[in-house]
Amino acid sequence: MTTTSTDKAVQPPAGRSILPAPKYPRVFGVGRGRLVQYGIFILLALFVLAPIVPILYQSFRDRPLYEAGGLLTAGNYVKLFTDAGFGQVVLNTAIFAVGTTVLTLVIAIPMAVLVVRTRLPFGRLLGLSMQWPFFISSLILGFGWITLYGPAGFISVQLRQVFGFVPWNLYSLGGMAVTEAVGLAPIAYVFCANALRQSDASLESAARVCGAGPVRILFQVVVPMLRPPIVYSSILIFSMSLETLSVPLLYGTPVRIEVFSTFLYTNGLQSISPDYGILGAASTLILAVTIGTVAIQAKVLKNAQRFISVRGKATRPRLLDLGWIRWVAAAAIVIYIIFGALLPILGLVFRSFTMIFTPLQNPFDTLTLSNYQRVFTFPVYVQSITNSVVVAAVGAVLVSVLALLAVLVARRSPFKFARSVEYLALAPQAMPGIIVGIGFFWAFALTPGGGWVQGTLMAVIIAFGLRALPTAFGSIAPAIMQIGRELDDAARTSGADWFGTFFRILRTLLRPAFVGALILVFVTMMKEYSAALFLSSANTGVIGTTMLDLWVQGNTGSVAALATIQIAITAVFVAVANLFMKGHTDA
Amino acid sequence: MPEVQVSGLHKKFGDVTVLNDINFTIREGEFFTLLGPSGCGKSTTLNCIAGLESPTAGSITVDGVPFVDTAKKLYVPTEERNLGMVFQSYALWPHMTVEANLVMPLAIRKVSKEEKAVRIHEALDTVGLAHLKDRYPHQLSGGQQQRVALARALVYSPSVLLLDEPLSNLDAKLREQSRAWLKRLQVELGITTVYVTHDQDEALSLSDRIAVMFEGNMTQIGAPAEIYERPATAAVAAFVGSCNFFTGRLEETRGGIARVRLDNTGLVVKVASTLALSPGDAVTVAVRPERLTITPASADVTGANVLDTSVLTRSYVGSRYEYGLKLGTNVVQVISPTGNLDGDVRLVFDADDALLYAGSNVPSAEAQELMTVAS
Repeated sequence: MTTTSTDKAVQPPAGRSILPAPKYPRVFGVGRGRLVQYGIFILLALFVLAPIVPILYQSFRDRPLYEAGGLLTAGNYVKLFTDAGFGQVVLNTAIFAVGTTVLTLVIAIPMAVLVVRTRLPFGRLLGLSMQWPFFISSLILGFGWITLYGPAGFISVQLRQVFGFVPWNLYSLGGMAVTEAVGLAPIAYVFCANALRQSDASLESAARVCGAGPVRILFQVVVPMLRPPIVYSSILIFSMSLETLSVPLLYGTPVRIEVFSTFLYTNGLQSISPDYGILGAASTLILAVTIGTVAIQAKVLKNAQRFISVRGKATRPRLLDLGWIRWVAAAAIVIYIIFGALLPILGLVFRSFTMIFTPLQNPFDTLTLSNYQRVFTFPVYVQSITNSVVVAAVGAVLVSVLALLAVLVARRSPFKFARSVEYLALAPQAMPGIIVGIGFFWAFALTPGGGWVQGTLMAVIIAFGLRALPTAFGSIAPAIMQIGRELDDAARTSGADWFGTFFRILRTLLRPAFVGALILVFVTMMKEYSAALFLSSANTGVIGTTMLDLWVQGNTGSVAALATIQIAITAVFVAVANLFMKGHTDA
Repeated sequence: MPEVQVSGLHKKFGDVTVLNDINFTIREGEFFTLLGPSGCGKSTTLNCIAGLESPTAGSITVDGVPFVDTAKKLYVPTEERNLGMVFQSYALWPHMTVEANLVMPLAIRKVSKEEKAVRIHEALDTVGLAHLKDRYPHQLSGGQQQRVALARALVYSPSVLLLDEPLSNLDAKLREQSRAWLKRLQVELGITTVYVTHDQDEALSLSDRIAVMFEGNMTQIGAPAEIYERPATAAVAAFVGSCNFFTGRLEETRGGIARVRLDNTGLVVKVASTLALSPGDAVTVAVRPERLTITPASADVTGANVLDTSVLTRSYVGSRYEYGLKLGTNVVQVISPTGNLDGDVRLVFDADDALLYAGSNVPSAEAQELMTVAS
């Protein structure tokens, strides 16, 4: 008999008595794990509903929320639809969103196929650079494009000098769609590239055995298998272009082209006596549309998972050889990267160090630091930079922790509302930033004690945090699915409760995913500004809102300087975080 | 050593019934196996005992302590049940050394440092891996990982050991040796053990008693010999060991011997039976391949049943020969020590060698299809 036995006949040797099962305290008859699960559920529900409920309420009220004695009415909607301008807004939005979606796919799908599945010169490098427009906010991208391709842009002016005319007009729906598509293409690219990497290589081998050449394999096997990620990402891109504010605001304002988001911006923020009822009604409409698209997307993805072939075996498919076409393909990708993102950003950075940026005069003659000087002489501008960093840093921690807990509850708990937790965490995907801003503004104004938060950095963190939550959730959830459920079960049978399982086992295993989420949220919140337009007071602006202010004042040099600062902060942070991650993943 | 009592266990996922009225009692120190094809509910039953799943109805008691009783709305969470469990994938925590894996359950129970060291050493010693305590799981072979998982399940002296197909990830040779080792260990420890497997050899060689499950029902509980020799249904006969099935009609039953006219040839065979059946009823005759004898057609034989057949195939499998004989449209499997038979032969078996089941439902239509030839 060994001592692991507890046979009655054998007296256990000293110090090795039978160990009693652990007992965990109960509060109101439930364990602490269940309490945390309910806590997360309620917190998420409050977080998501806080901005929506006031908007809905306002849209049916005949006067502003803060005025007493209001009546419920559908008048706001009637007014909105009979407003002559609104039909044009809807039409513009539709053209812009559809155009952006189509263009994004035209850029992203061929690139994903070429980079992942064919032998391409510098394929790895191109694949990596494909993704980096993601790190730059669309506001900055818009500034960069205007600097180069706008009516007075560097390249436009150069062309006019040579040919006498400019073959494009950036300040149009088409120009907006092209710019937005360049910015959003990395998202569609990542979806398609991941699907391609995970697809079963033997399918292609089978086609090859049947005698199919590389081009035939591409068009008859590889591309048809991409249907799920294409459908999924096109819906995502569509809903993102419905809500985007930056590019339509920058390009559309001078030529009076209005889309949904700019309509909300001008009616809610720029008008002297905003009609809150109309603002509420329009916000509700947009919410309905974006929630609809995200719901469709969720449904599509659910079905799609059935026929994405993911195998545990790592059989790397052989890359297809396209012959001379590969040089054309590589050139096309290089053109996208250089003219789409690299040149506009470099132009913007260069602009920040010059007085005047035009081919008519050698920009090196007017090198200066005065753009930066202007930013740093005004305490409000300096504060907006520190605000951005504080918001992004604090927000990254808070949002990542919340997302981690939400993932644990949604994917690793017997909690009966686990699915609801997941939907709540992903719901903000469907909530445009500007609407989140309006919603929280009203929510803080209406809730007792909300005044303490109104106008503080905390308000900005809450609003940005809500917007970043789906990103964080989406980056942690796949990581937890990689961790076998039996690891949890083993911990439970060993005596750890739900909470203990996390602290003793999952915490360490999830650390890389958590750090990944931290980086992603930091970058996302650094880019974010639209939710702050309504929420910021004079002292709580962020870089994005300050850039817009300076842009309206015509201080394009200082806008470029701020953009450069934001890019630099993001780059330094990502680099340091990556270094840190490399050093710690082995632990 | 505690007793495990499971009664009236039901489990439903939506409209699908996974467990249907499962009842059994495991005696103290017994090695009890849940055997069945995948999806039969054996793992669900084990998970209900472990508390990883909660039953829709029913109760589970271990050592007199109720773990689950749906009637009284009682449910003890997994972590408070003090059971040891080994998972199919071993579920060793990959970021911890072997020692750290074993420390965790002890740390939860707030065991003193000295006792931790003693217990861990002894648990690892039991599985013969005390020298590997500083390794990480990925540095161990599959067999070693499985033994560490076992040590982790034993280190806190659990009341019952639950094993969920622990040998299925090992390769064939190692699996056989591990089986023998596991049996010795269990006898030595005398710990009540519940074992889940779909492998009939494992079940027969390891268990004190086996419970055979099909589609959420518990079909038969008994000692290995009982399950093999007297399977309660044709399905059990087919699943545990291999078996030939012939459908036919009962002619008459006299003195415990049933005369059955086979559908495939129209021949009559005699089968020992205690079933209460009346002439004309559809029946199924089951005979295990090793209970059949083949003799050359020329030889003079006596026996209850002598059938004329011919050899279709003969394969050499090392210790014996496997024959495929043609009987009407059926292929009959026979195991024989002699390998020189060919052409026309005779198939001989006694009335006691065959089993009789009511009805003509032969298990596994697909397998039966493969065992059919044109007449």
